[in-house]
Amino acid sequence: MPLGWLFLIVLLIAALGYAAGRRRALAGAGGSLRAMHSLPTAYGWNVAMAVLIPSLLVLAVWSLASPFVLDRTVAPMMAGQDGEIGLLMSDVRRVAEGLDLLGEDPASVSLEGLRERLAGAGVALGQDVSAATLAAAARYKELGARSALLQSVLVLAVALGMGAWAVRRTTPALRARNEVEWGIQGLLIAAALVAIATTIGIVLALIFNTIKFFQLYPASAFFFGTTWSPSFGGGSSLGILPLVWGTLYISLIALLVAVPLGLFSAVYLSEYASPRVRAWAKPMLEVLAGIPSIVYGLFALLTVGPALLAVFGSGGLGWMQGGTAVITAGLVMGIMLIPFVSSLSDDIINAVPQAMRDGSLGLGATQSETIRQVVLPAALPGIAGAILLAASRSIGETMIVVLGAGAAARLSLNPFDAMTTITAKIVSQLTGDQDFTSPEALVAFALGMTLFVVTLGLNILALWIVRRYREQYE
Amino acid sequence: MTDIPLGDAAPAAPRPARSILETDARTRARNRAETRFRAYGLAALLVGLFFLVFLMSSILWNGLGAFTQTRFALDVELLESELDPEGTRDPAVIAKTSTFGYGDLIEAALAKAVAASGIQTDLEPGDLADILSSGAAAQIRDRVTADPSLVGQTVSFDLLASSRVDGYIKGRVTRESLADDKNLSPAHLDIVDALVADGTIARSFNMAFITGADASEKRPEEAGMGVAMVGSLYVMLTVLALALPIGVAASIYLEEFAPKNRFTDFIEVNIANLAAVPSIVYGILGLAVFIQFAELPQSAPLVGGLVLTLLTLPTIIIATRAALKAVPPSIRDAALGVGASRMQAVFHHVLPLAVPGIMTGTIIGMAHALGETAPLLLIGMVGFVASNYPDGALHGFVSPNSAMPAQVYEWAKRADPAFYERAWGGIIVLLVFLLLMNLVAVLVRRRFERRW
Amino acid sequence: MNDMRLFERAAAVDGVKISAKGVNVHYGTAHALKDVSVDIGDRLVTAFIGPSGCGKSTFLRCLNRMNDTIPSAAVTGRIELDGQDIYDRRVDPVQLRAKVGMVFQKPNPFPKSIYDNVAYGPKIHGLAKTRADLDVVVETALRRAALWNEAKDRLHAPGTGLSGGQQQRLCIARAIATEPEVLLMDEPCSALDPIATAQVEELIDELKQNYSVVIVTHSMQQAARVSQRTAFFHLGHLVEYGETGQIFTNPRDPRTESYISGRIG
Repeated sequence: MPLGWLFLIVLLIAALGYAAGRRRALAGAGGSLRAMHSLPTAYGWNVAMAVLIPSLLVLAVWSLASPFVLDRTVAPMMAGQDGEIGLLMSDVRRVAEGLDLLGEDPASVSLEGLRERLAGAGVALGQDVSAATLAAAARYKELGARSALLQSVLVLAVALGMGAWAVRRTTPALRARNEVEWGIQGLLIAAALVAIATTIGIVLALIFNTIKFFQLYPASAFFFGTTWSPSFGGGSSLGILPLVWGTLYISLIALLVAVPLGLFSAVYLSEYASPRVRAWAKPMLEVLAGIPSIVYGLFALLTVGPALLAVFGSGGLGWMQGGTAVITAGLVMGIMLIPFVSSLSDDIINAVPQAMRDGSLGLGATQSETIRQVVLPAALPGIAGAILLAASRSIGETMIVVLGAGAAARLSLNPFDAMTTITAKIVSQLTGDQDFTSPEALVAFALGMTLFVVTLGLNILALWIVRRYREQYE
Repeated sequence: MTDIPLGDAAPAAPRPARSILETDARTRARNRAETRFRAYGLAALLVGLFFLVFLMSSILWNGLGAFTQTRFALDVELLESELDPEGTRDPAVIAKTSTFGYGDLIEAALAKAVAASGIQTDLEPGDLADILSSGAAAQIRDRVTADPSLVGQTVSFDLLASSRVDGYIKGRVTRESLADDKNLSPAHLDIVDALVADGTIARSFNMAFITGADASEKRPEEAGMGVAMVGSLYVMLTVLALALPIGVAASIYLEEFAPKNRFTDFIEVNIANLAAVPSIVYGILGLAVFIQFAELPQSAPLVGGLVLTLLTLPTIIIATRAALKAVPPSIRDAALGVGASRMQAVFHHVLPLAVPGIMTGTIIGMAHALGETAPLLLIGMVGFVASNYPDGALHGFVSPNSAMPAQVYEWAKRADPAFYERAWGGIIVLLVFLLLMNLVAVLVRRRFERRW
Repeated sequence: MNDMRLFERAAAVDGVKISAKGVNVHYGTAHALKDVSVDIGDRLVTAFIGPSGCGKSTFLRCLNRMNDTIPSAAVTGRIELDGQDIYDRRVDPVQLRAKVGMVFQKPNPFPKSIYDNVAYGPKIHGLAKTRADLDVVVETALRRAALWNEAKDRLHAPGTGLSGGQQQRLCIARAIATEPEVLLMDEPCSALDPIATAQVEELIDELKQNYSVVIVTHSMQQAARVSQRTAFFHLGHLVEYGETGQIFTNPRDPRTESYISGRIG
C-alpha cells in the first residue's frame, strides 16, 4: 500500500474516532454538558490524538528504518562480488526499482539486454546486470514488498487499537481537555526540539563524514598542507591552508569595505539625518541586505570583475589577470555587508543613553566630538560584536566567492590574484555525482566542519558580547 | 568637605572677556571638523545607496534583453517527397523523419528568403542555417507531427534566430567581436541587416523565457525559467507546510509554556546560533541526512524544501516569538481570569493577535529561502536538471528539478555569453518575486500593526 | 517652611547675568513655555520650582540652547547673557555652552576614567596647553566639587564605578572644569540619597562664590535651603519670581501659596 494511502486511512480512522469519542461522552452524560468534565470536542480530540500520534510515529520510524534493514539483509548476497559494496547495493536497488517500472517478474526476466531495457525505463546503470545482482534485486524486491505489507498492517493495527482503547475509556468524567492539552504541549515541545535536532544533525553529519575522511587522509596533511589539488584519480593534495587564506583574505577586504561605510552610515542615520531622510534612506540601504547572494555573485562575475579588469588589467595598470579575484569577491561581499553592519551598529548606537550625549553637548562639545569621544567608545563593545557577526557572515558566504573569486587555490598576498575559499570548495567537491567514499568528496565534510566550528565560535562570542552590551544599558 | 577652601585661594583663572557673538579660531576649526565628520557620514550613506542603484541598474540594463527574443518569420515548403513519400499522412510515418531530415527544407526556405530580400551572398545554404537556432528544425518537426495535414503545404513559421543573431540585434554582438567566432560571420550580418529591413527578422516579447525549460549549452536562445520556477514553487510549498507549523509551535512553547531553566536557555541560544550558521552547512546537512542517510531522491524539490525549512525555522521562530511577546500580558490575564486554561488563553486569545507578526516573519523567512542557492546545489538541484516539467501535481515534489537561483547560477557558469543575459533576466524574475513577497509583508504590517 | 533663617539670607546681588524677555517654547504643537521674562543675578543661586511639566526644565535648557538638540523645539523671545543675545545668528552654541555649563538630573559620567571625564571639557575647548596644566585643571575642578579626597587615588578608574553621589559630584567637576560663568543644574539631587544630596547642596552653596548657579528642583525644601532667589513656574507660566524668603513666607500669588503649602503639585 503506498504511503499516501496509508496516511489517508489513518486520518480517516482518526476522524471516525473523533466522532465516536464525542458521541460516547455525550451519550454517557445524557446529553447534559454540565455532567461532563470537558467540552464534547475535547473528548473527540482525545480519541483522534490517541489514534494519530502513535500510528504516525510507527509509520515514520518504519519508513526510515526499513531501507537499512533491507540493505543489511540483502548485502551478504553480494559479498562475493567485485567492487565496493555500497556501489553494488545501489545497483541492486536500482535494478529492483527498474523491474517494478518495467513490470517484469524477476523470476523469469532474461539478463539479455536488461540494462538497455532498464535504461529505456529511465534507470541508468553503471554496468551490465550480473546474475548475482539480479538475484539480490529479486530478494530485495520481495523483502521490500513484505516490509511494506507488514508496515501497513502494523500501522493500521496501532491506529485501530489505540482508537478502540481511547473510545472505551471515554466517560463523561474523563479529564479529556487536560489530556488533549497534555498531548498538544507534547507536540509543541517536539517542535521546539527540532531546533536541537537540527544542530545535532549538523554535528553528526559533519563528524561522521569527517572521521571517514581522516581515515583515508591524514589530518595533519589536511590542516597543515599548503597545496590544494584534488584529483579524483587519486594522489590528491588536500591541504586546507590555501583555502583558509583565501577565505580570510576575502573576508578582510569585505570588512574593510563594509565596516567604515556601514559604521559611518549608521552614525549619520542615527545622529544627523532628519527623521524624513532616515525614513527612506534606512529601508533603501536595507534593500541591499534582502538581495540574495546569487545576485551579488552575478554582479561580481559580470559587472564588478570586468570593471576592475578594465582598470587594473592588462589594458590598464596590468596588475590583474582575470576578472575573478580576491578584490572582486571582497568588494562585492563588502557591499552586501554594508546594511548588515549599519543596521546592527544603528541599533547599538541608539542603545547609548541620550543622557550621555546631553552630558557631552552640555559641556560645549560639538556633535562629532560627542560621537567620536563619547558615543562610539560607549558603543564599542556592541560594535565589536556586530563586526564579529559580519566576519562570520563573510566567512560563510558562498555564492559570491564561487562566482567572483576564481577557482585556483593559492597562497598569495596579491589581492588581484584569483583565490578560492572553503565554501567554494565545498560546493565544487560536492556538486554532481558523488560516492562519499573517496577522500576528494569526503574532504568537503572536513571543510564544512572547519567552517562550522569557526563560524559557530564567532557567533557565540559575538552574540554574547552584544547581549552583555545590551544588558549594560537596560 | 574639607577641600573646599581652594575655591577662594585660587579663583578661576582670569579669562579674557570674550563675546559670545564672535566665534574664536579654535571654535571655527572645531566646526570645520564637525562639517567634515558629517560629510563623511553622508558620503558613506551615499556610497551605500550608490551601490544599490548601480546594482539595480546593472541588473535591469543587462537583464531586460532576456524578455525579448529575435525571431525569423520563415515560409517553409513542407515537401511531401521529403516527409511523407507515400502520402499516407500517418503520424507514425511522419514521426520517422528526424529533425535532421528537415535541414534541407529549412535551407531551401532560407535561400528563398534571402533571395527575396534582394541581397547577394556567397554563403552556402548550409552556412545560412547558422542564422537560425539549431532548435529550429525541432520546432518545425513538432508542429508537423502534431498536424500531419500540413505536409505538402508552404507554412509560415516563427522560428528562433540563433543566439548570435539575437545578440547582434540586441547590440551584444558586434562585427568586430565576430572576428574569431566560428558560429557566425560578418557576411551573415549583412543578410540579417537586410532581413531586418524587410521585417522578416524582428524582436518580440519572449514568453518562452518565462515559461520554458532550460536548454542545452548550444541553444541559449531556447533557455527559459519556467521549470525552475515550478521547482521553486514546490520548494516553497514544502517550506511553508513545514516551517510555519513547526516554527509557530516551537515559539508558542518557548514563549508561553517553557519553564525558565538551563535546558530552555540552551534551546534559545541554540536557535540564535542556528540563525547565523552559513547556509552551505545546511546543504551539507541535507546531503548527509536526507540523501546519504534517509536515501531520499536527489534533486527533488521536497528535499530542497526540507533543507530550506531547517534554514528558515530560526528566522520564523525569532519573528513569531517577538510577535507573541508583543501581545500584552493583560490579554492572557483576562482570559485566565474568566476560567480559560493556559492552552485556551494562548490559542484563542494570544495567537490570533500575533498572526500579523507571524505572517510578516514567515514571508520574510520564505523570501530569504527563495533566494538561497548554495544548499540546493549540494542536494543536486542544479540548473541543468530543470529540463522538463514534472508529470503531475504531486510528482512536482519528487521529480528532479532546480530552483530559480540555482538556474541563474547554472547560466552564469556557462561559457556562451548569451547565457549571461538569461542569468540577469532570471534575476529580474527572482527579484520580482522577492519584491512582491516583501510588499505583502509590509502591507500586512501596515494594515494590522497594533501598538499596545 | 518655618525656617527663620530664610529672612537672614538677604542676597548680595552683583548684577544681572542672564536676562530673559518674553520667551516662548513650542514642542511641535505643544506650547511648553509661555511668555517668560526673568533676570538672573550673578554669583547667586536661583531656584526654579514648580510641579512636573510646568516648564522649568524647558526654560533651563533654553539658557544654554540645549533645546537646539531637540528638532521639534522652537524658541522665541530674547535671552541675553551679559547683554548679548544668545539666540543671535552669530552665536555658536558650542561656545555658549562652554560659558553656560550644565549638570543633569541623572549622573551621566562618560564611560571613561575619572580623570578623562573631568579633562574632557578642557581638552575639547583647548583650556590646557600641557599635560601638567591639564593635571592642575583636573585637580582644581575635583577639589571644587569636593571629590578630590575620594578620587585622588583612583583617578584612572572608570567614572561609572563611583557611587551615585560621587558620580553627580564628578559631573559637577566635569562642568566646572571648563570654567563656565553660569552653571545650570537640572534636578541634580533627584537621583541621590539624602546624604549625597546634603553634600551636593553644600557644594552648590560654595559654587555661588564664583558662578551664577541656576537650579531646577522638585523639592521646595531644597530651593529654600540653597537659593537666594526663587522662580515659581506653573503650566508654562512664570507665576512669581523674587527673594527666596519672600516666596516661601509671603507669596503674592495664590497659586504659589497653594503650591508651597502642598495643595497643588
